[in-house]
Order: sequence, then structure tokens, then C-alpha cells
Amino acid sequence: MFKNMYNWIDERLDITPMWRDIADHEVPEHVNPAHHFSAFVYCFGGLTFFITVIQILSGMFLTMYYVPDIINAYYSVDYLQHQVAFGAIVRGMHHWGASLVIVMMFLHTLRVFFTGSYKAPREMNWVVGMLIFFVMLGLGFTGYLLPWDNKAYYATKVGLEIAGAVPFLGDYIKELMNGGTIVGAQTLTRFFAIHVFFLPGALLALLAGHFFMIRKQGISGPL
Amino acid sequence: MDHNKQQETTHKPVKRKEMSRRQFLSYTLGGAGAFMAGGAILPMIRFAVDPILQKKEKAGFVKVIEESKVTNEPTEVKFKIHQVDGWYESDPKLAAWITKDESGKIFALSPVCKHLGCMVSWGGEEAPNEYHCPCHGARYTKDGKNLKVAPKPLDEYEVKTENGWVYLGPIDPNSRV
Amino acid sequence: MAHKHDPNEKIVFIGDSRVRKRDYSNVTPPDYTAFPGKSEAFIPNFLLKEWMVGVVVLIGFLVLVIAEPAPLGYPADPLNSAFIPMPDWYFLFLYQLLKYPYASGDFIVLGVLGLSGIPFIALLLAPFLDTGKERRFYRRPIASSLMIVSLVAVVYLTWVSWAHYQHELEATGTVPEHIEREIKAEEAVAKGLPRPIPGKEKIPAMVAADDPAFTETMTQAACIACHGAELEGGGGPALRGIGDVLSKDEIVQTITNGKGDGAMPAFKENLSAEQIDQIATWLSKQKAEAAE
Repeated sequence: MFKNMYNWIDERLDITPMWRDIADHEVPEHVNPAHHFSAFVYCFGGLTFFITVIQILSGMFLTMYYVPDIINAYYSVDYLQHQVAFGAIVRGMHHWGASLVIVMMFLHTLRVFFTGSYKAPREMNWVVGMLIFFVMLGLGFTGYLLPWDNKAYYATKVGLEIAGAVPFLGDYIKELMNGGTIVGAQTLTRFFAIHVFFLPGALLALLAGHFFMIRKQGISGPL
Repeated sequence: MDHNKQQETTHKPVKRKEMSRRQFLSYTLGGAGAFMAGGAILPMIRFAVDPILQKKEKAGFVKVIEESKVTNEPTEVKFKIHQVDGWYESDPKLAAWITKDESGKIFALSPVCKHLGCMVSWGGEEAPNEYHCPCHGARYTKDGKNLKVAPKPLDEYEVKTENGWVYLGPIDPNSRV
Repeated sequence: MAHKHDPNEKIVFIGDSRVRKRDYSNVTPPDYTAFPGKSEAFIPNFLLKEWMVGVVVLIGFLVLVIAEPAPLGYPADPLNSAFIPMPDWYFLFLYQLLKYPYASGDFIVLGVLGLSGIPFIALLLAPFLDTGKERRFYRRPIASSLMIVSLVAVVYLTWVSWAHYQHELEATGTVPEHIEREIKAEEAVAKGLPRPIPGKEKIPAMVAADDPAFTETMTQAACIACHGAELEGGGGPALRGIGDVLSKDEIVQTITNGKGDGAMPAFKENLSAEQIDQIATWLSKQKAEAAE
């Protein structure tokens, strides 16, 4: 039955070549950890993506309970962590996953750097990758505020002071990120919106570009 | 249809009984994928469906009115209950229409119309001696029996009397009609 | 678009060119014959190996998640001056860098733009700065050594920052909030009490609120200035339910000599021993059980 359904769709949209291209492309030996154990360094990119998927999923589920409001934010986090079944696990995944994704991405970046894989013709993919890195750091920074405990509050205050030290524009950047003059109710909603809608949107677009380019250009050759 | 068959045969040139290497790899791949998806998503699913699996606490009884003030004519009482909704605790107001029937038994009806959930009230010019809903004109008798529009009779509060006071408890389906 | 009927063509759309069968027959996949060794198909052969690594990582990750719950401190309090701010670990190097004299104060612009901004921009534009053909890292010493120096610097700064934080915790005798909170929660649960939620502790009602010890003596002594008109707390802690925490003697001691380096002033000058005893007697009656 699935075969018939597939055929029906395929007849109309001709989807076979799309996935065949991904499925059947040959992967060379020098990136295959089964052939050379040292090739595990080539796994970090895929692992970054895997953890990113976990981040997106756990984040989606967390917003079922979380409220971005300075009075209730802390209590909703406390509630979902302690009163909801598996709350500690889901929040733990999001919390530790945030760190792990940075680690994996860092290792992936170093692999690409030290194997010189960013050289022509792959310059654009490196730039997109670095933009992904910055978006991830932005996600880390904005997500840190959301539980609205002391650690979140003071870290954000310090971070915004640093942003405020940028010459000429500093004060404007700071006020814009604050959503006012203090770290408060408007900062929290702003950070929530950036963390949940703006940066993930940018991230998905950049990831699509990253994957499109690697598929188009192929993996870099052996050294 | 014949070109599809043609395509399939080109992908699977030989059909042997035993599993091909490619098939074995595909199944293992599917297994690994299922494990990864399950390991990550199952805790989240349990997390999401928690509200339907949490133990429901039955609402306690709230003191609302002196027994002697209840008459044959429905009287509206408003009272507060303590509600814990996740991390949010509040004291919402509820209303009930309390009446004493012929045998002297006290009963209390919930004023939430069974049609579309508007608030009904007793009497008035339009419908003397009936409960009347302002939204779509549903009518109920004193016992809460649905006369017009509404599909079901009005819900009833559990009632308890103690030391001359009436206490109202959780809402149940109407038992008088 | 030619309308010749090719029997090998899957679909023939007539009159609409939006969906068109593309001819993939002459698209050659990237050629790996130049690479030595065996190559294999992405699905299922190669992806399976990647997913094996993924499975191992996932198991390790779940073990970490189960073993170590995500931290949560106390609700944000802008007046909390004792709190030692701490960004997430991957910002520590930046946090530490901006503490140094040539990266802060008058030089903050240098710190923010020069020492943080320029390296990040250089990293972003690395392929345009390091344009040589050579890929091996030891054949491009400038790029590699810059990267290695930055890495060492980042690791060192992170370590210094973390060590400093630990040192400060020790010096001030602070237990990080999320740990203190867990300990308190465990203690409460062990005693059979409900898990306390910081900021939502139920303050017991006042016992014998019409006692002259409260209505006269304590009002005169301005206790309510700090402890609140209803003793619900304010600048000082709440006193309702204090009888559960302190004995009468301890209360006498606190009122007479003060507490916390003058945070609670000594009242031995302003109140007679008799008055203090009167207040302490009344306060020691403030127990949660009696309030119910």
C-alpha cells in the first residue's frame, strides 16, 4: 500500500531523484570512521545537527509549560521541572544540550579549520557556518535569561553592559535589547521572542544553506 | 504502471530468499534511527501528555449560605474556591442557584447553560418561573430540566449541610431530572 | 518544449510547463575516483556508521541528563547584592578578558572591539585571509599558529575565570543557589513537608495579634519598619512562624544584642529587659501549628 501511495505521489511530483541524489551519493573512505578510526573527527558536524534537532524538539515541548513573564516565568520552570513527569529530563536535555551543541560545533569548526576544508571553493560554506556559530551563541545568551532566576538575571545584566560598551551605538543596542532602560518584563519577552522565533528561524535558513552547499560541493578531499 | 515495474526491477535485480547485505544495513539503520528518535522524543511525549495522567484532585466543599435563607424560590449565591492551576494559584468566583424542593431537600444548580456555556438566570420578565439563558433563549425548569434549545439539564453541585450552613462541592450531572 | 512521446519518460505534461521531468541521466555525481580507497553509498552504508556514533552520544547524553538535573536558583531579585554573577561557561573567556585593565575602564572600546570583535570577524572571514592553496595546517604556519594561540588563550581565560569564581564562592562562604535550594528541598521532603518553592513560602498567620506586646511595645520599638506591619517581612525577615525557628532565649538574645553585624540592631538601650522578655514570649508563640 505504501508503495502504491509512493508511486501515486511520485508520478505527479517526480520525487525519486530528490532523495536518490542524497541516498546514493558516494561517501569517500577518508571520512569513514569504519575505515580509519581517526575519521571520527568528521562526525562532529552530524552530531551538532543531531543535538540541534534535540534542542529544537525539547524547546518546543518546554514552551507548553513555560510563560515568558517575570512573575510567572520562574514558577512555571519550577513547576515543569518538579511537578510534571519527565520535566527534569526534558529541561535537562535542553540545558545540557545547549552546552553540548556548543562543544560539538566548536570541535566541528576546529576540524574544518585544521584540515583546511574552508579553502576554495568552500569559502561561503565557512562563512555560513560561522554565522550559525554566532546564532548558536545568541541562542545560548537569550536562553540563559528565560528561567528568571538570579543567575539568569545577573548574567544578562553583565552581558548587556558589555553590549553597551560598543562605541557610539552601545547605548542604543543596550536599550534595544533591554526593551527599555532596565532588565525587566520587557527584556524577558524580547529575549523569549528572539530565542524562540527569530534566531531559530535564522538558524534553519542557515542550516539549509550549509547542507545545500555541502551537497553541491561534496566533502573536501583527503589531505 | 509498467514503467514503475520496470524501475523496481532495475533496483532489485536478483530476488533471493536470504536477506541481502543492503537490506540488512537498511534494517539496522532503521533500528538505530528509531532508537535515536525514541530516546529523544519519548520523554518529551510523556512530558506533554502529563496533564491527562496527573491525579485529579476532587474539589473540596465551600461554605456558601445559611440553611435558613434557602427558600422555594431559587437564590443566587456567589462563592470563591481555591484553584491550583499548575504554577498559578487563584481564587476564582463561582455562582450557584440554590433552591429547597417540596420535600425540603436543598439542591444547587450551576448557572452554566448546557447549550453554549452562557450564564443563565432565574425568572425575569421574559421567563417567569424558569431559568432563562440570554444568549439563545434556552429555558430550564426549577429542577434544571431543559425545555428549549439546550440539549441537557443544568449541572448540579454536590450539597452538604452542616451546623445550619450549606456547603457546595464538585459539579456533577443533574440527578433530579 | 518538444512534444515527442518518449516511452522512457515517466510523465508527460501537456500544456503546463510548471512541473517538468528533468533529465538526470547526464548529471554525473561528484567524482571520487580521484580519492584513494573505497567509497560507499550514503544510505544505508555510511549513515549507519554515523548513526552508531549518534547512538553512543545519545546514551551518554541521556545518562548526563538523568544524573545531573538542570540547575535552577532563586527567583531573580534585583536587590540581591551578594549574588556573584556568572555567565554560561562558553562566555567565560570573554567575561574574563573584559576584566583586564587594558580591556576595561578607559580601554573598554579596545576590549570590546579590538580584543573580541576583530578576532571574531577574522574568524568569520578566515577563507579570505588565508587564501593559499595549501590545506595541511603545518604548511600554513601563520593561520594555524594564530588559531592555536587563540585556543590556548580561550582555554586559559575560561580556566582563570572559573577558578576565580570558585575562589570567590569559598571566600564569601557562598553555596551556589541551585545547590542550596536542592539541599533545602531535600531537607524539607525528609521532614515530610511539601517541597518549598522559593518566594512562595506560605507565611503562617499571626497568633494572638491583639497582644499588647505586639500592638504597643513592638510598634513603639519600630520593629515593623523592617519586619513589616503584619510581620510579613521586608528589609528584615518575616517574623510570623518565628517560634518554629528560634527558641524564646534565642529571640531574647537577638533582640538584646542584634544580629548580622547590625543588620538587626541591638535593642538593649531602647527596651527594658522586661519589654524584651514580653516581646520574646509573644514571638515564641508564633508557630505555624498554632496559627491554623
